[in-house]
Amino acid sequence: MFSTICSGALWGVRAYLVAVEVDIARGLPSFSMVGSLSCEARESRERVSVALKNAGFDLPPNRVTVNLSPGDRRKEGTAFDLAIGVGMLASLSYFSPDAVKDTLFLGELGLNGEVKRARGVLPIVREAARKGIRQCIVPQENAAEGAVIPGIMVRGASHICQVLNFLRAKESEREEILPLCRQDLESLLDREDGRGAPDFDEVNGQESARRAAEIAAAGFHNLLMAGPPGAGKSMIAKRIPGILPRLTAEECLETTSVASVAGLTGEGAALVTKRPFQSPHPAVSLAAMVGGGTVPKPGVISLAHRGVLFLDELPEFRREVLDSLRQPLEEHRVTVSRTGGSITYPSDFMLVCAMNPCPCGYFPDRNRCRCTETQVRKYLSRVSGPILDRIDLCVELQPVDITGLGGKRGEESAAIRKRVLLARERQIRRFAGTACRFNADIAAADIDRYCALGGKEKACMERLYRSLHLSARAYHRLLKVARTIADLAGEDRIGEEHLMEAAFYRPVQEYWS
Amino acid sequence: MERETIFDRERYREEEMPYELWLCSFPNMGNRQVRKLVELCGSAEAVYYAGMDRWRQALTEEQAQKLKGFTEAWRPRQEYERLAAENIGLVTLADGCYPERLRQIPDAPYGLFYRGTLPGEEPAVAVVGARDCSQYGSFVARRLGELLGRSGITVVSGLARGVDGISQRAALEAGGRSWGVLGCGVDVCYPKQNRELYEKLPGQGCLLSSYPPGTQALARNFPPRNRIVSGLADAVVVVEAREKSGTLITVDMALDQGREVYAVPGRITDRLSDGCNRLIRQGASPLLNPEELVEALGQVPRRGVQTKPAAPGARQGRRSRENAGSGERAERPGLPPELAAVYQALDLCPRSVAQIREGLPERFREISLSACLIRLCVEGMAVQISPGHFCVRGTGPE
Repeated sequence: MFSTICSGALWGVRAYLVAVEVDIARGLPSFSMVGSLSCEARESRERVSVALKNAGFDLPPNRVTVNLSPGDRRKEGTAFDLAIGVGMLASLSYFSPDAVKDTLFLGELGLNGEVKRARGVLPIVREAARKGIRQCIVPQENAAEGAVIPGIMVRGASHICQVLNFLRAKESEREEILPLCRQDLESLLDREDGRGAPDFDEVNGQESARRAAEIAAAGFHNLLMAGPPGAGKSMIAKRIPGILPRLTAEECLETTSVASVAGLTGEGAALVTKRPFQSPHPAVSLAAMVGGGTVPKPGVISLAHRGVLFLDELPEFRREVLDSLRQPLEEHRVTVSRTGGSITYPSDFMLVCAMNPCPCGYFPDRNRCRCTETQVRKYLSRVSGPILDRIDLCVELQPVDITGLGGKRGEESAAIRKRVLLARERQIRRFAGTACRFNADIAAADIDRYCALGGKEKACMERLYRSLHLSARAYHRLLKVARTIADLAGEDRIGEEHLMEAAFYRPVQEYWS
Repeated sequence: MERETIFDRERYREEEMPYELWLCSFPNMGNRQVRKLVELCGSAEAVYYAGMDRWRQALTEEQAQKLKGFTEAWRPRQEYERLAAENIGLVTLADGCYPERLRQIPDAPYGLFYRGTLPGEEPAVAVVGARDCSQYGSFVARRLGELLGRSGITVVSGLARGVDGISQRAALEAGGRSWGVLGCGVDVCYPKQNRELYEKLPGQGCLLSSYPPGTQALARNFPPRNRIVSGLADAVVVVEAREKSGTLITVDMALDQGREVYAVPGRITDRLSDGCNRLIRQGASPLLNPEELVEALGQVPRRGVQTKPAAPGARQGRRSRENAGSGERAERPGLPPELAAVYQALDLCPRSVAQIREGLPERFREISLSACLIRLCVEGMAVQISPGHFCVRGTGPE
């Protein structure tokens, strides 16, 4: 007998529905699977038949054919197991065909019949809702992840017998067998907001760096911190997500989708409820950074979507890896092309970099640094120009002296965040109805509109331009940062003070070249 | 009489020089050995024709063998013509044009390759110091070079990065003269950053080297070079040196040669001044006022107008300076009080923002420093040398 079960597969962060067709007919006993399957998807037949046997089903020696349609798209992963298993039971008439109507099945099967975690539940459930599917049965571990999608019923199952019982039960008893999973995203995000995040009050001193972090957070600007070892560069970087505004529901879905595709959800946390903070090792490979695989999986920069990508020891990163950041920094997404096709992942992150100013770390304190000028230049020049070109704020940290360590504590994250939120609100109002979200996104063409200057400020900017030898790009960046500083101060107009402060944080050209 | 000298010299050039070049181009022989050979044989030409037996009296067997091989491959006339075509001159101890001051030092180099005008009798001061100098060092080196250049005193130095190059460049910019002594061939520019200076020097002084053209810059070539730097000068000024600095080798040699040594004093907290301060304790004269140095050499110090004023705003402050060597800052009228306070808290040495804040009077402790500092930069009174360090603009725009 023939049956069709609905399931889903991933293509990047997008999902599409897959019809799992199972035919059980008389003939020589065999089990064949078709539909452009990868190795692990093909292995499904062993898992499913053994799982069904161990779950107590008696499978007659028949000819089983499974087709995953559309047949021309390459399918990866193990999440089809449950659908195939249910399809076989349907073909063997264990329940009425109506029971699986408008229902999507997703999950991997263990040999004992348990339903295991799957990749990409969120994007698949989202697509199912869009296509008018009524309910989804997903692994218990991923249920909360799928449940955030409105307009679709999501139930978590932990064993295939549960699923069978559910399908055989009367409508009224069903709720008891597999209860509906409910998740209110907004309240969840509110609840999770700021929990367990390290606080800025643990950072002593470093006034410039703290201020730079605040400006960066308010305008989503890219930040570079230079300073000796132990000055607190990573400490500050780790605290930046805590002063960023909490994820919106839409952002949460985006970040969870990426994490889900990468297979990172379900383990403890179903949803990405906090701003991501990714800190790859300097030896990270190009594929790990931007994404890779036959059908490319998201890389670190996509996992940092809507959050912070922290590159510690910036000069130690391979040049090709740093250069690969150029497209994502410009376009907020990354396209990876492989034999399996080319996939675009979102990657709108805030770049935070940290580095020592020279091999020993104490330049320009000539009393401590004994690196030669050439060594220092060589070290600094390892940071490629294109990356430096995309840094909005550059700040130097001072070595912490012993009195500073015991000194009074700095301002708390909550207080900083309050100001950041006000600045964000001004930006939301300013950019309403445009593609821009933050000051950092302002396009060169719109600079005059959003960063208008008065006569006095124009003259000031001209003087800055000339005396600090700014490039056109640096000029624009400075204006954007000044816009954020003005927003933080609650001013509609950019004042001279704001321009001056923005200039302080520009990457000093003479220092880098 | 005079005609005869000229005639003699020309004949000497024609006949003797190709052999002198041969002798000075052989790399595996010390200066003492060269001099001994010439003494033994009488002239370079005689050395050339003397043969192995005589050579062995001054050289080891191995060296003599090498010299034999070298000589067989060497075409004296052709090589000499090539040297002339490259605009490189050679002067030896046997030549009357050999710099007199250098001739007097113990173990004077036998031959000197040069480009430009050979050093004569004019007063000269060697300005030496750290390659990675501080703003203070570069400020002093520049002021010193400028003053010497303007007062008709030649600046002798090694064309290195840092103090050497800065003082030489300043002297040339002030219209003065400078001699650059290289640790490589005179046709090799080292370090590359100083190419502009390297190209200007032959026109406003001289490039000198005891190494044959084509010799690359090797670490072991530099101590002998330092000997020539001090040997060419009447006095040596050390601008900045660490406790263990190569500059101190120059000082030892200068003392051997009986040259007056001056050291520019620095603060005891600056590692880059440790060498200088120690020299002062050991008896070097502290250079408190560059004009005194000029006067000590019998010249009239000429201050003149600054060739490169820092900025319109800064010029007023600088004009009133009496003590040309120090980097003291005059009050600038019209500056808002908080800016003036920040300016006073700055120094020629780079200071971090936190240090600057500490240096402010109590009532200004809470101001927004970043904006003030940038304002000073725009006014041309300060320089942001790294994202978090500032110093007073000591020199003109670089």
